[in-house]
Amino acid sequence: MEPIVTCRGVGKTFGKGELAVHALSGVDLDILPGDFATLAGPSGSGKTTLLNMIGGLDSPTVGEVVVDGENLGLMGKGELSEIRLRKIGFVFQSFNLIPVMSATENIEFVLELQGVSRSERRERSLSILSDVGIEDLAHRRPGAMSGGQQQRVAVARALVSNPAIVLADEPTANLDSATAYDLVRLMRRLNEEHGTTFLIGTHDMRVLENSRRRITMIDGGIDTDERI
Amino acid sequence: MIFAIAWRNVWRQPTRTILSVTGMAFTSMLLVFMVSFQFGSYDTMKASMLRINDGFGQFQAHGYLDEPDMAKTVTSPSKIMDAALALPGITAAAPRANGFGLLANGERSFAAAVVGLDPAADPEVAKISTMIKSGRALSPEDDASIVLGEGLARNLRVDLGDPVTLLGSAVDGSVAADVLTLVGIFGAGVPELDRQIAQMPLSRFNETFFMDGDVHLIAVSGPSLPSVEAAEQQLTHIANDFEVTYLDWAELRPEVRQAISLDQSTAMLMYGTLVVVVVFVILNTLYMSVLERTREFGMLLALGMKPGQIGRMVWAEMIFLSLLGTGSGIILGIALTAYFQNVGIGIEGMGDVYAEWGLPSRFYPVMTLERVLVGPAAIVGSIALLGIIPYRRVLGLEPVKAMAS
Repeated sequence: MEPIVTCRGVGKTFGKGELAVHALSGVDLDILPGDFATLAGPSGSGKTTLLNMIGGLDSPTVGEVVVDGENLGLMGKGELSEIRLRKIGFVFQSFNLIPVMSATENIEFVLELQGVSRSERRERSLSILSDVGIEDLAHRRPGAMSGGQQQRVAVARALVSNPAIVLADEPTANLDSATAYDLVRLMRRLNEEHGTTFLIGTHDMRVLENSRRRITMIDGGIDTDERI
Repeated sequence: MIFAIAWRNVWRQPTRTILSVTGMAFTSMLLVFMVSFQFGSYDTMKASMLRINDGFGQFQAHGYLDEPDMAKTVTSPSKIMDAALALPGITAAAPRANGFGLLANGERSFAAAVVGLDPAADPEVAKISTMIKSGRALSPEDDASIVLGEGLARNLRVDLGDPVTLLGSAVDGSVAADVLTLVGIFGAGVPELDRQIAQMPLSRFNETFFMDGDVHLIAVSGPSLPSVEAAEQQLTHIANDFEVTYLDWAELRPEVRQAISLDQSTAMLMYGTLVVVVVFVILNTLYMSVLERTREFGMLLALGMKPGQIGRMVWAEMIFLSLLGTGSGIILGIALTAYFQNVGIGIEGMGDVYAEWGLPSRFYPVMTLERVLVGPAAIVGSIALLGIIPYRRVLGLEPVKAMAS
C-alpha cells in the first residue's frame, strides 16, 4: 500500500549559530491510508513542527516530505496552497473558524476555493454537518457556539473536501473532558466509516487511548511507532 | 464569497467602522459643498463680469483682439448673427464697432473709445448700455446721440443735452467728425470703462467712421455662460465659415482666467490636504485591523487560500469602507449644497463693493456631477491606491509565523 505521507530524513533548525534550535532531526515516517495515528510526546518534542512540515505550512531544513505523491519541497507558495486546499484538512487547537461566517458558510468556503458549484457546496456541507452531529447549528456563527460545537464544525470543514489526510494539532486542548471525548469518538468513527486518514498531535490520554497507531516523539525525533 | 466575507469583516468592529465612515462622510460632504460653492462662485463672477460689456463670447476679425486696428472688420454681421442665433443655447447676438477719437466740449477734450452699438440688441448681451446713472440709454430711434461713461462726462464737464464734438480717424484713414448730443451717462462701476467709453448708435457710427456696414465684433449671449460654452464648437465652425475668429470668455478676459487658476491652485492645495489627512487616518485604522487579524490570515493560508486572495479580500474591505463613507458624504453634501443652492450665501459687508463690479451680494453653489464626485473620488482612489500597503503585507505572510502571532 502506497503511503499517504512519506517523511525521509526530515530536519528543521530554527535560528543560526549558537542560538540554533534543532526542532526536528532525521525523522523518517510513513502514514498509510486509513491510519488513525497520534503523535505523542512532551511539549517541545517536535509534534507541531512535524505536522507543519507535513501540512506544507513550513518547509524542512533538510530531508523531504511527500504527500499523496507530491514532493512538497519542490513546490512554490501557490502550489503548496493548492496542496493544502485539496489534499490536506486541518483541525487546530483553537478551532480557527471564520468568525463572520455561519457553520455552513465556513464549510462551504473551502469548497468554494476549490471551485465547487453552489448547489453541490450546500449539499455537501449539510451532509457533513449531519455526519458530525450538528446539523441544527448550520446557520449559527462561531461566536454563538460552544467550543465543542466549533471544533465539530472545524472537523467538518477539514473533511468536506475529502482530503488525503486530516492533520489535527491538539484538537482537544481547549475542550472540557466530556466534549473532548465526544470529539475523539467522532474522529474515530469518521476514520472507520469513511476511511479518512488522521494524524493527530496530542498529549491527551483520551485521544491516545483511541489511537490505532501511536507515534511517540522525543527531542525532535521519533522514539517509538506502534500499531495498536 | 471573498467579497461577502470582506463586507462582513467591515462590520466586525461596528464602532470602529462607524467612526471611520463618519470621518470620511464628513470630509466628503465638505468637499462636495466647497467645490460646488467655489465653482458656483466662479460661474457667478465670470457671468457677472462678462455681462457688463463683453457678452459670453465674441466673433472678431482675425488678430483684432491683439491689435485692434479699425480695418480689421467683420464683413457679414447679419449672416453671422443669424447663424449664431440658430444654435441652441444662444439667445442674443449684438454687433458693435469700435473707434478711437477725441471728444470735445468747448475748450476741454479727452480721448475716448467710441463704441457703435445696436440699441435694441446690445442690452440682450451686455448691461453696460443700460447702467444709466442719469438721462437714458440709447434707443433705436436715436441718431446723433451719445452716451458717456460718468468719468468721461465729468472730465469733459458735459451735462445732458450738451453737444459733444467727436473727432477721429475713419476706417479708410480719413477724418471722422461728428457732433452728437449727450442723452445719457452710464456708470458701470469699472473705472476704466467709465473714464473711456462713449456709446453711439451703430448706424451713426457706420456713417461717421465710413464703416460700409461692417462691424468689429459680434457679442453673443445665452441664458447662462455654460449654455454658450456648450455651443462653442458650433460657434467656432460658424467663425471658420465666415473667416473670422470666435473668442470664448477666457480669451476675452484672460486676467479673470488667471485669477481663477490662482484661486483654484490654492483651493486644490487645501482640498488635497484634507483628502491626504483623512486617507492616512483611515489607512492607519485599516492597517491596524490587518495587523490584528494576522493570525486569522495564517489560518486562511493554512486552509489553502492564496495570499493574493486574502490580499484582495482586505483590499475589498477598504473599498467597501471608503465607498460607505464617501457615499454617505455625497448624500449629505448634496443635501447641504441643495439647501444653499436655494438660499445662497451672503458675503457680509461686501455687498456695495461687489455691486460696483456688477457682482451680486449673494453667491450660490452650483452642483454638477463632476463637482460632486471629484472630492469623494479622490478619497476612494487614494485608499484604493494606498491599499497596496496592507495588500503587500498580506502577500508576505507565512502561514506558521502568522498563526503564531
